[in-house]
Amino acid sequence: MALPTYTIRPALRCLRRAPALGSGSISSSHSFKTTTSKQDEATVETTTSNTPPPPPLDLDPNTVSTRREERLLLRTKGVHPIGSRRRRAALQSSDNVPFEQMPYQCFQEARKVLQEDRESKLEQITEMRRRIARWQNIPAEECGGEVAKKGKLVRMQKYLEELKILADINDPVIKKRFEDGMGDMNRPIYRHLADQKWRAYKRLLLMQRISQMHIVPDILAHIDPTAEVSLGFGRRNVQPGEFVDSRVSEMPARLNIQVFDKGERFVSIAVMDPDVPDEERDTFGSRCHFLAVNIPVSPTSTSVPLSKLNKDNHIVYPWLPPYAQKGAPYHRLAVFVIQQDKTSFSADGRVDVETLRKSMGRRRERFSFRRFTQGKNMHPIGMHLFRSKWDDGTDGVVQRADIEGFNVEFTRKKPEKLPYKKKDGARYR
Amino acid sequence: MHPPRIRIPPLATTCRSCLSLRSRPSRFLPLTQHRPASHASQGRANKAAPGPGKRLGAKKGASELVVPGNIIFRQRGTHWFPGENCGMGRDHTIFAKEKGYVTFYKDPAAHPKRKYIGVVFQRGEKLPVPRNAPRRRRLGLVGRERVLSTIATAEGMEAGGLVESQGTMRQEGMKTRSKVPALRKVELRPGYQYRESNWSIGRAAERANVRVREYKRGDRFLAWRKLNARKARNAERRALGSRKKKGSSK
Repeated sequence: MALPTYTIRPALRCLRRAPALGSGSISSSHSFKTTTSKQDEATVETTTSNTPPPPPLDLDPNTVSTRREERLLLRTKGVHPIGSRRRRAALQSSDNVPFEQMPYQCFQEARKVLQEDRESKLEQITEMRRRIARWQNIPAEECGGEVAKKGKLVRMQKYLEELKILADINDPVIKKRFEDGMGDMNRPIYRHLADQKWRAYKRLLLMQRISQMHIVPDILAHIDPTAEVSLGFGRRNVQPGEFVDSRVSEMPARLNIQVFDKGERFVSIAVMDPDVPDEERDTFGSRCHFLAVNIPVSPTSTSVPLSKLNKDNHIVYPWLPPYAQKGAPYHRLAVFVIQQDKTSFSADGRVDVETLRKSMGRRRERFSFRRFTQGKNMHPIGMHLFRSKWDDGTDGVVQRADIEGFNVEFTRKKPEKLPYKKKDGARYR
Repeated sequence: MHPPRIRIPPLATTCRSCLSLRSRPSRFLPLTQHRPASHASQGRANKAAPGPGKRLGAKKGASELVVPGNIIFRQRGTHWFPGENCGMGRDHTIFAKEKGYVTFYKDPAAHPKRKYIGVVFQRGEKLPVPRNAPRRRRLGLVGRERVLSTIATAEGMEAGGLVESQGTMRQEGMKTRSKVPALRKVELRPGYQYRESNWSIGRAAERANVRVREYKRGDRFLAWRKLNARKARNAERRALGSRKKKGSSK
């Protein structure tokens, strides 16, 4: 077991903490000046470390770098550490000088170039905004019809969004803030960076799992996820396609839906199981384990705990714990986040829960996801999946949820043989 | 590449020379001559006999009924690939994995050049299925009511490190974990074994109150003592062994 840091290396700790303490005064606090004052502090620390109660640590989320300190910070102050551990460790011995005051000439020259570029981009943005406003006022006949005008405006808007990102993409401060997890998702640049980061690994992994586990032909024909969906049960996070113990998935999941385009929108959440054994037809059916609609989601409000959703306003089917009968192959549980697009008959995209409940009835079984999304201006923007199989806890889960017909065990059908073809008698004479 | 020509002199001159040079009979040519082969007489060159036929080819025709395990095609290499509900054996034999009807098809979306053999559930069904249509799957299982004794009740709850508290399942923490787990009931395990689970067996020492020195990484003093003990042991054994050897040789 590792000894607590304050007992092993007081001198090192003192050295480590020196710049962090001096970080308040920005003006390139060289540690030479402060050594005299730090020395007596170090002696104080060494004497106190001999006595049983350790000194209270001043834990800074910017500089904690051991697991123990991170845990302490979270426990005592309820604050998560910022950035990577490697970065925090590096910060401990840095002077924390802001970029504007870095004493490197080349760096400052480069910053000037970037600044100039940004200014030119900002000018272009104002120019583009002006042009868009002008084109909106021009009647459609003058610019070659309604369709042409709309197309032109869409293209201009797209270019404007591109410019907004280009203005900030080279800013070192923005990059730093994003890497520290301090990015403001209301600004297009941070949404862009978050999107890039998601697409670099997590989305690839998700797409791989979708194709490996045949979610795409089995539940829906096509999906192009544009929102990051992460899923967990209680404290436990679930990776896409992971097997989840039935006791863990007994409670409703908590979702985190990060959209990367601006504005608030309403989404529906459906949890589908396409692997329900259907013995009569000798095939697999599907079941809806959860369905909720009209859930507001925006780039900044991402957390959606399914257990906290309002019963009257959102939920069509409450959470049914995933379960698998003994002997049956594993069940895939696909969680879909479906965007409710704005239409002519609902300006904000809301769906009437009551009518939906009536039309759905109580038929979770044989719920067709394709039918649900067809012709309703609903399109899936994100998904997550996990798997469930029969385990020690399934019986308890099923009994607590009052599910009927769980008491079934599946065994392999005895393979039939081809009828024996008797050779003609002439051969045996 | 012609064989060397041997010029045989006419008989009269030979006789003459014989008569004239009686003292040197070695000038006669040998009666048996060697002529090297211009063409290999054995092996590959003369079309070796083909050997027994390997009985390759289709064993089942299109839309013929097959059951799991039936061989559909025998081949050297992969002239045909296993498609839907088919498998490929060690020697590239294509066999059926489901009961159904044989189909030979191409799937340009999967691979532009490969030929596939598949099995469909209904006679006349076409392969490949459209790319975005749900897969046709067969359950192939029979359900029967479970015998009540095999249904675990609430006691299965402790497994997996989960405990119930305040109405929800929580991960068992270091605080809530009991120090020494009680002996669990023996249960029927895979392979018809009535025994306790492996993790429970693994904690038997704790149950028996066996104390083990806690492992400390980098405890050089302990390592040094152990090393010395081992050296002493080895020296002792060596001394014993050498004595034995001496005794056996005498």
